[in-house]
Amino acid sequence: MSAITLPNRTPGKPGPAALISAMFATVRARLLIVSRYKGQLLNEIVTPIVLAAMPILLGRATAGDRASEVFLANTGTANYVGFMLIGSAVFVIVSNAFWHVANWLRWEMETGTLESIYLTPTHRVFVAAGTGIYSTSRSTVGAFVAYLIGSAIMGINPFQGDLLIAFLFILFGLIPLFGMTLLYGALVLKLKEANAMLNLMQWVVNFLMGVFFPITVMPAAAQFIAKLFPPTWMTNGVRSAMLGVGYFFNEWYFDLAVLWFFMLAAPMLGVWAFKKVENSVRRNEGVGQF
Amino acid sequence: MTAITPTTPKATPAQVFSTFWAMVRKELTVLSRYPVDFIASFFQLFIIVAIFTLAGLTFSETGQATEGTSGVVVYGFIMFMFVSDTLWTIGFNVRHEQVQGTLEQLYLSPASKFASLIARVTHLLIWTSLLSLMSALIMKAMLGSLPVYNLGRALFFLVFILLGTFGIGFAFAALTLRVKETANSLANLFQFAFMILGACFFPFGALPEWMQSISRLLPPAHGVDLFRSTLMNYPPGFPELASVQTETTVVIVFGLVMPVLGYWLFRRAEHHAREKGSLGEF
Repeated sequence: MSAITLPNRTPGKPGPAALISAMFATVRARLLIVSRYKGQLLNEIVTPIVLAAMPILLGRATAGDRASEVFLANTGTANYVGFMLIGSAVFVIVSNAFWHVANWLRWEMETGTLESIYLTPTHRVFVAAGTGIYSTSRSTVGAFVAYLIGSAIMGINPFQGDLLIAFLFILFGLIPLFGMTLLYGALVLKLKEANAMLNLMQWVVNFLMGVFFPITVMPAAAQFIAKLFPPTWMTNGVRSAMLGVGYFFNEWYFDLAVLWFFMLAAPMLGVWAFKKVENSVRRNEGVGQF
Repeated sequence: MTAITPTTPKATPAQVFSTFWAMVRKELTVLSRYPVDFIASFFQLFIIVAIFTLAGLTFSETGQATEGTSGVVVYGFIMFMFVSDTLWTIGFNVRHEQVQGTLEQLYLSPASKFASLIARVTHLLIWTSLLSLMSALIMKAMLGSLPVYNLGRALFFLVFILLGTFGIGFAFAALTLRVKETANSLANLFQFAFMILGACFFPFGALPEWMQSISRLLPPAHGVDLFRSTLMNYPPGFPELASVQTETTVVIVFGLVMPVLGYWLFRRAEHHAREKGSLGEF
């Protein structure tokens, strides 16, 4: 009898193709689940429009016919509708990124499958990356559709300014953003029932990003903190490219370079914080407890 | 041999109150176990206020809000907090009991169902009152001025508005029993609709005419309008949707009729769910 020769692979170590397959299986599973909740998808389109409508209507009521003129003097653009719509669309992408990662962890905890993920040979980073890709595709499409519908309702041209540069700011902003979502993940792992904290952080994000106002109206200390937050650069970059509100460093490539720095720093910080909390939880109560 | 016919025990008023108080105490105890929630909700309020204040100031030539603008925004925001709490909390709590698997057990006990429903929102009203007071103070500090007139009359209107929204809360709880998980998305959509049609963060005049016509059909929108106009001492153009007399009538009738109608709808939905055996399903 001849011995069967197994493929040359260390047992328990999946190859790159298997890892990528697991990642896309996660994306598919999550998209399939959300496709069953059409109301949620509709909400995602309505939310940015309603969020933007409130300051727009307040502004019209406050400044009347001079709304554009006053807004131009205070922010650098007369297109306050575009300013608010871009702000709320980017906010929804950012906020969803944090919530989707946090909810994914919490959901796995509650359904009792988080510990199983740790026991499978597929590294959890690939499952998390799958959630990240799912979140990006879901919220980017939703935000874009909301921006188009909002622009149509409020009568502005959605395609103005330098669209390619705006796209680059979104693209390069997503990587540090998902790096930072690991901080949210760490919070959920540590606190478990962290809904109130996550709600609070959602509004902190809204404030720091300057969703409805330029961050220059904030006190100097708050501006400094806001500039340490990558989505602030992302929002301002998109607005500057499309509406000409002005880059923080006057030229688009300098602002984009800052986002490049965050592309390295934010994931490193996120991974470090997540691993630290994860190790502590695994040493103590275990990741399965909720 | 005589057959024994079981009679449904009727709860006395004292027993109804006892059930109500026991439920309120239970909810307060649960709430007190999450101190982080308390702190987080306070800071959240502060940040929301700051965001809308700064957004409003980008349309100001002087960097200061007028008394009229701050009155509209602050009182609209307070009404939004109260109405949101009252509208959705009852439905969400019923859903929560369903998911936890305790709703069916509650129906097996002889305790008053009405008291149990009301108790779910009472503790929140206490907390929301405190938050409203805090938000008014914060906004006053940030915006500079805030008109406060006819406080007693405004509180009188607030009671009727809350009674009416309790009624909508019952009706929403009835809907929750029917549509189950979809209730979450519906609640979000209704909340957004109320934010806009109830003009919580801006005057009704900022809405297009066709939207104002829809607002005129909504009693809670009249409630928002009357409450803030009263506190602002009815400046020219306020109330915006109808005269003071008309809005007062709408608000009082809403406060008296809606709880009865809402509770009737809830009982019907509950009866339907019990007949179908779907009370515990989620």
